[in-house]
Amino acid sequence: MKKFHIDFYAHRRVYFGISIGFFLLGIIFNFVFGTQLDTNFKGGAMLRYSYAGEINPNTIEDSVQQAINRDVTVTINRNVKSADGSQTLNNVTLALAGDDSLSLENQKTLTATLTKLYPKANFNLVTSDSVNPTMGRSFFLKCIVAILIAFLLLDFYIALRFRKIGGAAAGFFAIVALLHDVAIVYFTFIIFRIPLNDSFIAVVLTILGYSLNDTIVIYDRIRENRRLMGLKTGFSVLVNASINQTLTRSVYTALCTFISVATVYVVGVIYNLSSVTTFALPMMMGVISGCYSTVCIAGPLYVMWENRKSRLRAQTAAIAAPARTPAVPAGSDGSAPVSASAKGSGKKVKTKAKAKKRKR
Amino acid sequence: MKRVKKPVFFIVALLILLFTYASVFGIKGKNGDNTVTYIKGVNDIRWGIDINGGVEATFTPVTTKKATNNQMDAAEATIKQRMIGENITDYEVYTDYNHSRIIVRFPWKNDEKNFDPQKSIEELAATAQVTFREGMEYTTQTTGSDGQPVYKTPKGTTASNIILQGSEIEKATPEMTQDKTTGKTTYVVGLQLSESGKAKFADATTKMVGQTISIWMDDTMISYPKVEEAITDGSCEINGGTNGFTAAEASALANKINAGALPFKLSITDSNTISPTLGKSSLSAMRTAGIIAFILVALFMILMFRLPGVVAVISLLGQVALSFAAVSGFFPWQNSFTLTLPGVAGIILSIGMGVDANIITATRIKEELWTGKTLDMAITRGDDNSFWAIFDGNITVIIVAIILMLVFGPKNILSYWFGASTTGSIYSFGYTLLIGIIGNFVFGVLTTRQMTRALSAFDCFRNRWLYGGPSDVKQMEGGAEA
Repeated sequence: MKKFHIDFYAHRRVYFGISIGFFLLGIIFNFVFGTQLDTNFKGGAMLRYSYAGEINPNTIEDSVQQAINRDVTVTINRNVKSADGSQTLNNVTLALAGDDSLSLENQKTLTATLTKLYPKANFNLVTSDSVNPTMGRSFFLKCIVAILIAFLLLDFYIALRFRKIGGAAAGFFAIVALLHDVAIVYFTFIIFRIPLNDSFIAVVLTILGYSLNDTIVIYDRIRENRRLMGLKTGFSVLVNASINQTLTRSVYTALCTFISVATVYVVGVIYNLSSVTTFALPMMMGVISGCYSTVCIAGPLYVMWENRKSRLRAQTAAIAAPARTPAVPAGSDGSAPVSASAKGSGKKVKTKAKAKKRKR
Repeated sequence: MKRVKKPVFFIVALLILLFTYASVFGIKGKNGDNTVTYIKGVNDIRWGIDINGGVEATFTPVTTKKATNNQMDAAEATIKQRMIGENITDYEVYTDYNHSRIIVRFPWKNDEKNFDPQKSIEELAATAQVTFREGMEYTTQTTGSDGQPVYKTPKGTTASNIILQGSEIEKATPEMTQDKTTGKTTYVVGLQLSESGKAKFADATTKMVGQTISIWMDDTMISYPKVEEAITDGSCEINGGTNGFTAAEASALANKINAGALPFKLSITDSNTISPTLGKSSLSAMRTAGIIAFILVALFMILMFRLPGVVAVISLLGQVALSFAAVSGFFPWQNSFTLTLPGVAGIILSIGMGVDANIITATRIKEELWTGKTLDMAITRGDDNSFWAIFDGNITVIIVAIILMLVFGPKNILSYWFGASTTGSIYSFGYTLLIGIIGNFVFGVLTTRQMTRALSAFDCFRNRWLYGGPSDVKQMEGGAEA
């Protein structure tokens, strides 16, 4: 059976680097392009028509501007495949400037203007969206509150659950992993320039639940292994071994989830379904991040914390009773030389653990 | 290990297959020419407006004063009456008193080729014209979406003689009365007329004792009471004839009559329309995605876990079937659920997440086998050790799914501050995610274990290689001899 022996603790700087790099990229994009909110969060109006033949976006922009006295951006999608037939259509999308909704009268004027410009194009309204800015803002606030509630409840659950499996510190790093995932999902929206919409909320909440379950499974293993390996085992060895043991499951589950979401994404791209792709792409990133944050971020951070704690304890002990210092290092570890040999000692510990298991 | 008899595998697998078949195709019978649906299948699912095409709009009264609850009820009654009159089924109306909003969502009508969404929203918002007219002559009679007859367009004297305008009715209220002799309670609608209305009504009712006065909203007749006596004091009752009104009927009629005297217009603050072609196209794309995702995950499981992988795929089938059943109204005690595009995405997502329980168990069994345990030992230990991990893995996602449903539901925990939800599509995602996770738990633990144990009782499935362990052909032969 294939077993993993990856020293996650030793490579921690690489993992932290990858995450920080992604965050930096996201922050730069955020500064350059800003955060876009979708119409259902900030208000605004968008109409899409199907049409036949040739139309000129600039002409439309000018005429619409004259007709309803509001700037409009026109985008054209050619040959949009419809999934239930071979028929393809051209779509034209009119996004109105500003955050105000578009009254029905103006919507009708707009349709009439288009038809007058191109009588043969046979414009048909595919979808229209017009949101009042007050409604949008209230919906946005509500979504933020939803995320906060979820986060609070999950924290509550973590507090309850982690009393058994590692205490406050472990719980804290589980929360760090969750924040990491939320940030990744957010920056995915920013980098791919997807306006934040209600799918963002759905993705963030799903990833919160999904990532936490991974973390709990690993911390559970750590607790189990602490019993099996004994207290003398170094923390980095213990955590590394636990992560490696659960890695098959973490990776497989993430892979299956990723396969499903990626399939949705690919189909969404083929048929040009923006509502589907803007949901699936951040979800794909979130699934990867959910697995990665637990294994590569929460685990090593936890080891660093525990090591620091025991080093501090050693120091206080050294100050308090200088005569007894030589006895202390046996309990502490994690300074660079010990973690470098973690691979070897990890194996040894494992055999010891197995021997114990058989005896029971 | 608790032994499970061999046939159990076939029984469980067959039950899952039957359940899958029933939840996909439903069970239908023929009663003469009519198809009777005993169990609903995928085709009976109620699709949301993002799939079926349709309209969502938010109406707010144009007024400086805050509209009272009664006024909002009257406005809501107007919209509902128009929906029924237009024979639009499946509409949803949510009234938010705190924020004075009415949210309306309705799908495209199937038979209508050239549906003009903008026009239909405008028609809903138009101020209701309530009139009291002489007689009850109408031009057309159709059946409305609530199954009651709908009479439209007054003609003859009914068209020419308008007794009262809606603005002349001060208020209509549902009232309860008790018959003094029999003690039976009945419901009536009390009318209070304005000064100008009082005089006109007194005139008309004096002339028309024993005749019918019909009440109309816009072009539709909503009630046709008979005049029992002359009404001169400007207050009267409509008593619902021999059968009387139910409480609901009385308040519905009162609301409709009140709509005629609403002191404000409704404005459309938000609107969202989706054409049925776009929706249908999205749905068939998602169907393709679902089938491909299922096949890919199934292949992955079988390649990685061999025999437990095959078992996992059967369980996964059951889980997906449960998701279908939960939205279609498969079980007699539940209503069908409106499934939206994110809802479909939730089902597909849970295909991927759903194998988690199987992965945890199968990996544990594999681990135990490689430490040299016998097959039975490994299966027992694998099952025991994995239960809590599966439980943990599911509970966090369940918490999240429930929050999604609570927050994005039509009437939700945050309604008080933020009003009824305009976007119900995420609600559907929360629901399918929740059902997927529950399904994962039920099928991934219960049926998977029964099937794995039953299979391991077959001699030909005793090779530990089939469970991801080391190959042991020799041991198997030894076992057969003994």
